[in-house]
Amino acid sequence: MDHKINILIIEDDPVITEFLQTGLKYEGYEVSVSNTGKDGMDIMQQNIYDLVILDIMLPDIEGFDVCRNFRSYGSDVPVLMLTVRKEVSDRVKGLDSGADDYLTKPFSFDELLARIRALLRRSGKIHENEEIQSGKIVLDNKTREVRVSGKLIDLTPTEFAMMKLFMCSPGRVFTRETLLNRVLGYNYDGGTNIIDVHISHLRRKLGKMNTSLIRTVHGVGYSFYPEEL
Amino acid sequence: MINMFKKYSLRTKLVSLYTALLILSVILVSYHSYWNIWQLLINNKASHLRARAKPIIEHWLIEQGLTDPDSIKFNFHNALALAHDLTSRDAAAVVLNRKGEVIANGKRLLEEPVAPSPNVQYFRKAISGVNEITYLKEVNGERILVFLIPIRPQPGSRKIFGVIQISTSLSDINNILFLHASRQITAMGIILILGILFGYWLIGISLNELHKLSITCQEIAKGNLGRRINIKNRKDEIGKLAESFNLMIDKLENLFSSQKRFVANAAHELLTPLTGLRGSLEVLLRGAQDDPEAVNRLSKGMFKEVSHLIQVCDRLLGLSHLENTSNISKSHIILSEFIEEFKRKAKYLTQTHSIIIQKGPFLVLMADPALLEQILFNLLSNSIRYSPPEAPIILGWELIPDYVEIRVTDQGEGMDSKTLTHVFEPFYRGKNQKSRDEKGTGLGLALVKSMVEAHGGFIGIKSTHGKGSTVFFALPL
Repeated sequence: MDHKINILIIEDDPVITEFLQTGLKYEGYEVSVSNTGKDGMDIMQQNIYDLVILDIMLPDIEGFDVCRNFRSYGSDVPVLMLTVRKEVSDRVKGLDSGADDYLTKPFSFDELLARIRALLRRSGKIHENEEIQSGKIVLDNKTREVRVSGKLIDLTPTEFAMMKLFMCSPGRVFTRETLLNRVLGYNYDGGTNIIDVHISHLRRKLGKMNTSLIRTVHGVGYSFYPEEL
Repeated sequence: MINMFKKYSLRTKLVSLYTALLILSVILVSYHSYWNIWQLLINNKASHLRARAKPIIEHWLIEQGLTDPDSIKFNFHNALALAHDLTSRDAAAVVLNRKGEVIANGKRLLEEPVAPSPNVQYFRKAISGVNEITYLKEVNGERILVFLIPIRPQPGSRKIFGVIQISTSLSDINNILFLHASRQITAMGIILILGILFGYWLIGISLNELHKLSITCQEIAKGNLGRRINIKNRKDEIGKLAESFNLMIDKLENLFSSQKRFVANAAHELLTPLTGLRGSLEVLLRGAQDDPEAVNRLSKGMFKEVSHLIQVCDRLLGLSHLENTSNISKSHIILSEFIEEFKRKAKYLTQTHSIIIQKGPFLVLMADPALLEQILFNLLSNSIRYSPPEAPIILGWELIPDYVEIRVTDQGEGMDSKTLTHVFEPFYRGKNQKSRDEKGTGLGLALVKSMVEAHGGFIGIKSTHGKGSTVFFALPL
């Protein structure tokens, strides 16, 4: 990624804005917020964004009209609409007004992220790498294989997910709780010790030469620290 | 019989009833006119023949010298002469003596009618002095008119020599009547057919609208509430029915659409905070939990959303609770004291707005003090929310017939006419709603309305866009 992806959120609900902003920043996006349709349209004309998340029920102007306004001056920014209304007619109206995708509240944040990625891919803003490379380690998203110095290592799905999470955010310290939630899902209600077990398996599989790649941050959790960092 | 009748359409029933009445009246009229004509013709014929016979008999009495009551010249011969004189082609005359025996028969020619044998009963009446005896007799299937004339020497004399029986065939009358009857039957037939057709048509037109009405009802039953009956310029019962029907459907449609709006708004009102809650939780679980600052912000947001949800649920429960009027407990309230007390409490609600009391007359009303306080509290917080700081809010009351009207007036932004019409609907928020920062539940005014109505009162609102609003509610005294 040569530059950070800029996302504009046009939404009036403070709590929704808050979690979108926080969550998207954690995912590495640059986020701007405007609380009204008019404000949103003004900001859109002054800056360039890679994606707009647009609520339909805005206090001043309906989201449909805001979207039409973008399109009226030729902006082709991908627009993801958010609304409580589930009716087909509303979806059609949203897509007809120029939106690229439509998500009904309440939505899963994972789904929102997936849709954002899909929209960005479609508009050519990101090229999701099929392979992530970090030093001697290569992770293939398609075949779900990990090679160390060209040699295939055998990982369980949980270990693969953990490896991918580490390699996507090198240097970031993950607490055991976060690792648990991200790798095993929010519904897993066992203790965090299981993470230590998975980490030790992963370290063993990466080989004796590479045990220092996954560092233990005492009292906090673990981080992935490739040699080039 | 009645059950059998039920399965036919209204049109069939009306047409058959109408037809039966028409036939009955036609038959009665025809029979009556037929009978009258018959009577008229017979009487006419009888009096005609009597009038003809009278001079002949008088002439004969003088000629035969029988004008003397004591004359004994009445015999077979002169009786025969009389019978001959009286007999003609359409009348047969015979003379009977006092014993009732035929002493002379006037028939000479073949074409002259045959006289029927005398009826003993009528003869006795005639011989005892009854003048006008006319009766009908059937001979060989033909009806004959017979009348008897006692032979007296002088008109009014008590002496009677014998009785003349004159009979005449009724074939000419029968012919006339037959012709009359056939014409009448034809005319009646035409009248009946025309009448039935016209009636069928007329009933059809009237019922056609009913038919339309039932088709419209069916369409409405299928859920197409937008349908209306299109009957114009009809001032009769069916026109009125259509009008009331349309009015009813208007009301129902309004009711349904406000119900629909209620559900949609309620869903929105509940789903929006749930979105915030779910999203915040997910973001925390995904890793924001590692950052105490993010945890703090997201938790505060979630707390706000949960509080809002609780408030919405509370008010929804309040709305349904108030539908049962037995849930309110009224007591005597001295209004001026109550409002003063409320003003003292309300000071904690706002530091920026001043509350002014415009005193009305001294009065005591029956109301639930807790609910009344809640009404005033809700109206006041609305006024505060929608009016600029320092703008005074006026609380006042006055007497109107049977009610006390309490007003809350602000100098806020007011509302447009569209908002005004929906402002008491649950979850309704005007176009110029403030952002959800200063949100209410959208249930405040709906709740106030329910509370006022639970007291048996009513509520209204006057507003000028940009200048402020006055909410007034009336409670029964």
